[in-house]
Amino acid sequence: MGRYVIRRLLQAVLTLFFVLFLLHYLLSLAIQVNGNPARTFFGDKPATPEQIAAVEAKFGTDDPCLDRLGDPCLGMFQQRMADWMTLDFGTNFDGYAVTDEIVRAVPPTLILFAISTSVWVLFGVTTGVLAAMKRGRFFDYLVRAGTTFTVAVPTFLLLVITQQLVGVSLGNWARDTFGRESVLGIVFQPSYDDRYPFLSLLVPGILLGAFGIAGITRLSRTSMLENLRADFVRTAKAKGLTSRRVTIVHTLRNSLIPVITLVGFTLADALGGTVITEGIYSIPGMGGLAYNATRENDLPVVIAIVAILSVCFMVVTLLIDLLYAVLDPRIRYE
Amino acid sequence: MSSDINERVVEGIDEERERPQRAAGLWRDAIRDLRKRPTVIISLLIILVVLAIGFFPSLFTDVDPKACDISRNKAPAEPGHPFGFSHEGCDYFAQTVYGAGPSVQLSLMVVTGTLIVGGLFGILAGFYGGWVDVLFSRAVDVFNSIPFLLGAILLLTMFRDIQMPFVGARLQAIIPAVITLIIFGWTSTMRLVRASVIEARNLDYVHAARSLGASNARLMFRHILPNAVAPVVSLIPLSIAGMISVEATLSFLGLGVRKPEITWGLMIDDATKWFVNGYPMLLIIPSAFLIATVLAFVLLGDAIRDALDPKLR
Amino acid sequence: MTVELDRQGSHNGYVEGLPGYRDDAPLLEVEDLQVEFHTRDGVARAVNGVDFSLRAGETLAVVGESGSGKSVTAQAIMGILEEPPARVAGGEIRFRGVDLLKLSAERRRRIRANHVAMVFQDALSALNPVWTVGFQLGELFRKHRGMSRKDARRRAVELLDMVRIPAAAQRVDEYPHQFSGGMRQRVMIAMALALDPEVLIADEPTTALDVTVQAQIMRLLSDIQAERHMGLILITHDLGVVADVADDITVMYAGRAVEQANVRDTFASPAHPYTKALLRSIPRLDVKGQRLEVIAGLPPVLTDIPPGCAFAPRCGYAQDVCRTERPPLSTVTAGRSAACHFASEVMTDDVN
Ligand SMILES: Nc1ncnc2c1ncn2[C@@H]1O[C@H](COP(=O)(O)OP(=O)(O)OP(=O)(O)O)[C@@H](O)[C@H]1O
Ligand code: SF4
Ligand SMILES: [Mg+2]
Repeated sequence: MGRYVIRRLLQAVLTLFFVLFLLHYLLSLAIQVNGNPARTFFGDKPATPEQIAAVEAKFGTDDPCLDRLGDPCLGMFQQRMADWMTLDFGTNFDGYAVTDEIVRAVPPTLILFAISTSVWVLFGVTTGVLAAMKRGRFFDYLVRAGTTFTVAVPTFLLLVITQQLVGVSLGNWARDTFGRESVLGIVFQPSYDDRYPFLSLLVPGILLGAFGIAGITRLSRTSMLENLRADFVRTAKAKGLTSRRVTIVHTLRNSLIPVITLVGFTLADALGGTVITEGIYSIPGMGGLAYNATRENDLPVVIAIVAILSVCFMVVTLLIDLLYAVLDPRIRYE
Repeated sequence: MSSDINERVVEGIDEERERPQRAAGLWRDAIRDLRKRPTVIISLLIILVVLAIGFFPSLFTDVDPKACDISRNKAPAEPGHPFGFSHEGCDYFAQTVYGAGPSVQLSLMVVTGTLIVGGLFGILAGFYGGWVDVLFSRAVDVFNSIPFLLGAILLLTMFRDIQMPFVGARLQAIIPAVITLIIFGWTSTMRLVRASVIEARNLDYVHAARSLGASNARLMFRHILPNAVAPVVSLIPLSIAGMISVEATLSFLGLGVRKPEITWGLMIDDATKWFVNGYPMLLIIPSAFLIATVLAFVLLGDAIRDALDPKLR
Repeated sequence: MTVELDRQGSHNGYVEGLPGYRDDAPLLEVEDLQVEFHTRDGVARAVNGVDFSLRAGETLAVVGESGSGKSVTAQAIMGILEEPPARVAGGEIRFRGVDLLKLSAERRRRIRANHVAMVFQDALSALNPVWTVGFQLGELFRKHRGMSRKDARRRAVELLDMVRIPAAAQRVDEYPHQFSGGMRQRVMIAMALALDPEVLIADEPTTALDVTVQAQIMRLLSDIQAERHMGLILITHDLGVVADVADDITVMYAGRAVEQANVRDTFASPAHPYTKALLRSIPRLDVKGQRLEVIAGLPPVLTDIPPGCAFAPRCGYAQDVCRTERPPLSTVTAGRSAACHFASEVMTDDVN
C-alpha cells in the first residue's frame, strides 16, 4: 500500500508539472501568435514604444521570447512557477491582482459545487441502484429514458430553460405572492444574490447536479446488475441471509467501488458545468470569472483559473484512486 | 443454451479460422438485433435528414437566412414562413435549416479526427507496450487533468482571432473549434483502443500469426485492429452526439461559431430572453432540432453498444 | 484434527412443527421437480421431472452432461434460483416431510445454511472479494445465532481449523484472493458446514482445482460427511470419484433423471443407454471442453424438447416407439429404475 501511494504521488507530481508547462506554453504561444496583449490595452489609440514597454512590464509580458514564435519561454516558465508557488497569479486587464479576484470567487463556486455534487452522488447512485433492482420494470425504463434524455439535451440548454421557467416565471409568482425577501422569492430567482449565497445557489446547484446525473446513474445500474448475478451473491443467499443484507452488504458495497472511479471523471464535467452555470446565473465564482475573462480575452485570468481547477481536479482524482485502493482489497497487491 | 454449446464446439476449431467466424457472428447478430428496433430506424431517419440539412441546406429552403427585415421581428408564422421570424426579423425556418451546418460539419470532423489520432496512438501504445505505452499514457493523463470544457474554452480564447489562409468564412468559423476539440478529445478513444488492442494482442491467433512471421504492421492492422473495432464503433454516434452538444455550448458561450454565421447554439442564446416573454417558439424551435439530433445519435449509439454487448441490457 | 460442534439435538430446530414434519420421514425427497427459465427465446425447461431421495449419512451422486440441469436442481432445492427468469413449475421438495416449496420466503430462508447448505464450484467467484474470510464465515454466526463479532470470529477460526487450514488464526483476516484455490474451496466447505446442516449439496466442488488438490478436498468432504452423518448430494463429472465415495447415483439427461440405482449395480450393468455411453467415456470425462465429443450428437434444445425420449436422436437402441412415447422412470429390478423403453434389454446386453 505504501509503495502504491508513493508511486501514485510521484506520478501525480509529474503530471502536474507537465500540465502547468502545457498551460504556460499555450499562453506563450497565444501571445506569440496574437501579438502582445499590451498593444490591445491601448485599443485604437496610438502609443509610443515606451508606453507599450511600460504596460508590457506591468503585465509581465516584456520577455523578448514572446516575439519568437514557438519559443517555450523557459525563463518565464521558471518565473511563473515561482510566482504561482507564492499564489501570485499576476494582474488582469483592469489592473487588479488575479489572486484577489480568485479568492473572492472561491466561496460561491464551492457552495455550488457542494450542492450539485451531493445531489449528483446521492440521487444518481440511488436511482441507479433502484433501477437495477427493479430491472425491466417501469421504474427502470423511466430511469433509463431519463438518463438518455439528460445525456441528449445539452446542459446549457436545460439550464437556460429551467432558469427562465423557475427563476423568472415561478420566481415572479413567488416574489409577488410572498414578497421579494421571502425564502421562496430568494430561492427562485434567475440570478445570484450575494446576500444569500446558499439560498440563491440552491436551484442552480440542484439543477446542475440533476442534469449531470446520467453517467453515475448508468454506471451504478450496470455495476449493480453485474454484481446481482455474481456467484458470491448466490452464496450469500445460500447462507440464509435476509435479502436486505444480501443486497446491502454483498451487492451494493461491491457495486459502489467502480462508481467511485467515475466520480473522478465526471468531476471534470461538473467543472465545465460550473463555468456554464455560473455564466448563465451570473454567479461571481471561478466559472463566472473564467466566463467573463473569456468574453474579454483576459488570458492571465483564464489560465490561472484553468490551472487551479486542473490542480483541484488532479488532487481529487488522486484521492479517489487511493480511496479505491482502500475499498477494493484486491488492488493493493497488483 | 444452444449458443453455449456452439461455443464449446467452436473452441475445437483451428484458431486461424475461428476469429473471422466469431467476429462476423458478432456483427451479424448485432445487425439483426438492430434492424428489429424501431428506435434504431427512427434515429437513422432523423440522422439522415439532419445530415442532408447540414450539408445541403439550400435543398430545403429558398429563403436567404441572412436577409432580414427588422420591421418583421418576431412576427408569427405565415405561408412561406412556417416558423415565423426571429427577433431580428429573419426567416426562422431558413435560419433553423442553415443553423444545422456548423454543428453537423464540426462534429463529423472532430470525431474523424479523434478516431484517427486516438486510434493511432492507442494501437501504438497497446501494441508496443513498454516506454511507448508509458509515454502515450502519461500524455493522456496530462490532457485528462485539464477538464474538457475548460481546456476548450482556454484554447479557443487564446486562438480565436487567428486568420487562416485559403479557408472560406464558414470553415474559418469552425476550424479552430475542430482542432481544439480534437486536442482535448482524443484521449477517450485512445484509452478504449489501447485496452482492446492489449486484449487482442494476447489472443491465441495473434500469437500464431506472430510465430508464422507476420510483420508488426500486418499484425496491427490485419489481426488486431479488426478486434479492437467493436467498442469504438458504438462510441462513434455517442461522440458525434457529444460534439454537437459541445458545439452548441461553445457557440452559446460565444466561443464557437460567431455571428453573422448561424448555428442552433447562437439562435438559442438569442431566443433565451423571449422564452417567458411571449415568444417561447423562438427558443423551442432550435432547441427541439438540437435535442432531436443529439437524441438520435445517442439512441443509435446506445443501441449499437447494447447489440454488441448484450449482457448489459 | 476436528473440532466438536455443539449440536442441538439432531437438527437446528427450524423445521419441527412445520406442516408435514415427521421425525422419521426421509431426510430429503425430490419428486417430479420442474424448473423453467423464461427467456427471450422462449421457455427453457431446464428441469422437467426429477425424482430422488436422500437418507441421513448417504452420499448421492448426480451426474450428467453439461446443461442437463444438475446445478438448477441443486439451486431449486436451496431456493436460490433467480425468479424471474426461473420458475419452479411443479413438483415437491420435502425435507423431513416438509414441502419446502410451500413455505413462506422467511421460513425458507432460515432453512438455508441451518438445514441445507451448498458448496459451489468456483470458490474464487463464490466468495465475496471485498470482505475477509473471517467476516464471511462469522456472518453466519452473527446473523443466525446472534453471536457477537468477537465470538463469531473465534468460531470462524475454529471452522478454518476444522477444514485443515494452517495458521487459521492469522488467515482469518485475509481476503479470498490471498488464498490458494484448494484453500479457498476449504473455506467454502467451512462456510457450508458452519451451522451444522443435515444436507450438504456440493456442486462440482473440485472441478476448478488441480488434480492433486482434488483428492484432498474429496477426502475432507467425505470424512466430515461420515463424521456428522450428513446427507451429501455430490454433483460431479468425475465417475472415478462417484465410484469411490457415492452410495447411490442419479443420472440426468435434458432435465430428467434417466437412471437411478446404487453405484455398484449401475456401474456393473447400466440400465439406460445414456449411462452406458457415459461409462464408456470415463477416461476423458474429467477434461473440461472435451465432454461433448464423448457421445456423438448434441442434447436437445431446452426450449423445444421433442416428444418421446429426449435421448432418441443419439441412442443406438432407439426404435419408433422412442420417438413418440416418453419413457417414464420406472423400476427395472428391485431398487433400480431407468427411463427407457428397453431398460431390461440394455441392462442385460453386455456390448459396452
Ligand atoms: N438463468 C438462466 N437463464 C436461462 N437458462 C438457464 C439459466 N440458468 C440455467 N439455464 C439453463 O438450464 C440448463 C441447465 O443448466 P445447469 O446449470 O443446471 O446445467 P449443469 O447440469 O449444472 O451443467 P454443468 O455440468 O455445465 O454445470 C442449461 O441448459 C442452461 O442453459
Ligand atoms: S427410450 Fe429408446 S431412445 Fe430412449 S434411451 Fe431408451 S432406447 Fe434409447
Ligand atoms: Mg452445473
